[in-house]
Amino acid sequence: MHYLLYFLRKHYFYFLFLALEILSLVLLFNFNAYQNSAVSDVSSGFSGSVMNISSNISQYFSLARVNRILAEDNSRLLSHRPEAFYKADTETYYHKDTLYKLEYKYISAKVISNSTNKRNNFLMLNKGWSKGIQNHMGVIIGNRIVGQVVSVSEHFSWVMSLLNKDSRISGKFKKNDQLVNVEWSGGNYRKGDVREIPKHVLIRKGDLIITSGNSDIFPEGLEIGRITSYTIAQDENFNSATIEFSTDFNSLSYVEVVVDLMRQEKEMLKNSFKSNTPN
Amino acid sequence: MTLIYFKNIGRFVFLVLLQVLILNNLQLSGYVNPYFYIYFLLLLPFETPRWLLLLAGFILGISIDAFTNTFGLNAAACVLLAFIRPFVIEAISTGTEFMIGHSPSLRNQGVKWFTYYAIILVLVHHFTLFFLEIFRFTEFFQTLLRVILSSIFTLLLIFIAEYLSYARESK
Repeated sequence: MHYLLYFLRKHYFYFLFLALEILSLVLLFNFNAYQNSAVSDVSSGFSGSVMNISSNISQYFSLARVNRILAEDNSRLLSHRPEAFYKADTETYYHKDTLYKLEYKYISAKVISNSTNKRNNFLMLNKGWSKGIQNHMGVIIGNRIVGQVVSVSEHFSWVMSLLNKDSRISGKFKKNDQLVNVEWSGGNYRKGDVREIPKHVLIRKGDLIITSGNSDIFPEGLEIGRITSYTIAQDENFNSATIEFSTDFNSLSYVEVVVDLMRQEKEMLKNSFKSNTPN
Repeated sequence: MTLIYFKNIGRFVFLVLLQVLILNNLQLSGYVNPYFYIYFLLLLPFETPRWLLLLAGFILGISIDAFTNTFGLNAAACVLLAFIRPFVIEAISTGTEFMIGHSPSLRNQGVKWFTYYAIILVLVHHFTLFFLEIFRFTEFFQTLLRVILSSIFTLLLIFIAEYLSYARESK
């Protein structure tokens, strides 16, 4: 026992190092952005308010651009109003009203921290579960995608940007509905990779990739980006391409969180299938 | 002696705020992310007890992590840096340069000594940080490029800061 204490005292530096290093790694692997972490709840109170002040100041510099985006959105929305439609056939008009049930609604939120220069980029929004935001909800800006909520506290939420090694978006070609995957391999924040394009699909520069709606996160038809270059693989089954993202991730200030009103029903359906199949 | 404590605490707060409010938002390209805040650990006085070094490293790292929501990432890299600091000093020392109450600096230890000291510590820190962040080897060379470019930028900031304090002290 005496020797043990002596040993510990003599080498305390190494043990303290190991203890702190292990503590750090445990924190790193347990409280990562994928869990709703207790720690981030405590800290987002303080760091969130510092970030809030910082973004309150910096948002003045982007007012002109925000105005332009709002004006664009406004004109887009105006063109969707009933008054903008030619109502020769009243049936179509009522058709939409009564038979279609609202599937998605949108919560607007302010971006209070954002990055595009890391390998794994995240955004913090100024609304949390008290405003109805939940984990796994999609985040968009206008009709372009931004990312996915991965952690929520009372007043803030943490969003995994599309610019992340773990983000993988199910997309499709707008022209022929062929499914592909969109990823980001780091470096330039304007450029992404399209993987798993079947051999028989004809790729052209400028082809638009949109969300497929298969993932339960984003509604169908949101813009992801346009193809700028592609490679035809000789001995693989899939081709790949590079796209330029429609979203400018470096200039996000207000975004919308997508609430899928039928999500619960979809999950219940899936779960009931799982519990019915024996294995 | 109390002055040294206040000086270091002030430096800690300043560097953390500089890092999270300005340097983390710097957009130089996806490959350059300077982590200048480790300058704090480089500048701790020579006679700082080793346990305090480790603890300071951990607290510094966790403070940065609290702002970037990457709990443990910067802490792990900083604790490693604090751990190897005494060994690096021992390895590159020529025996004459230490003065009680002094911090390692360009002025007191000379350009060559300080350059070795800074390069080794910055590289170790950045290497650990970037590889822990990505945590896979498929993008090995891409990540290595990020480590090298970011280290160069961090070192540049450190040397600018050293020359500024050098100019101020020699007035």
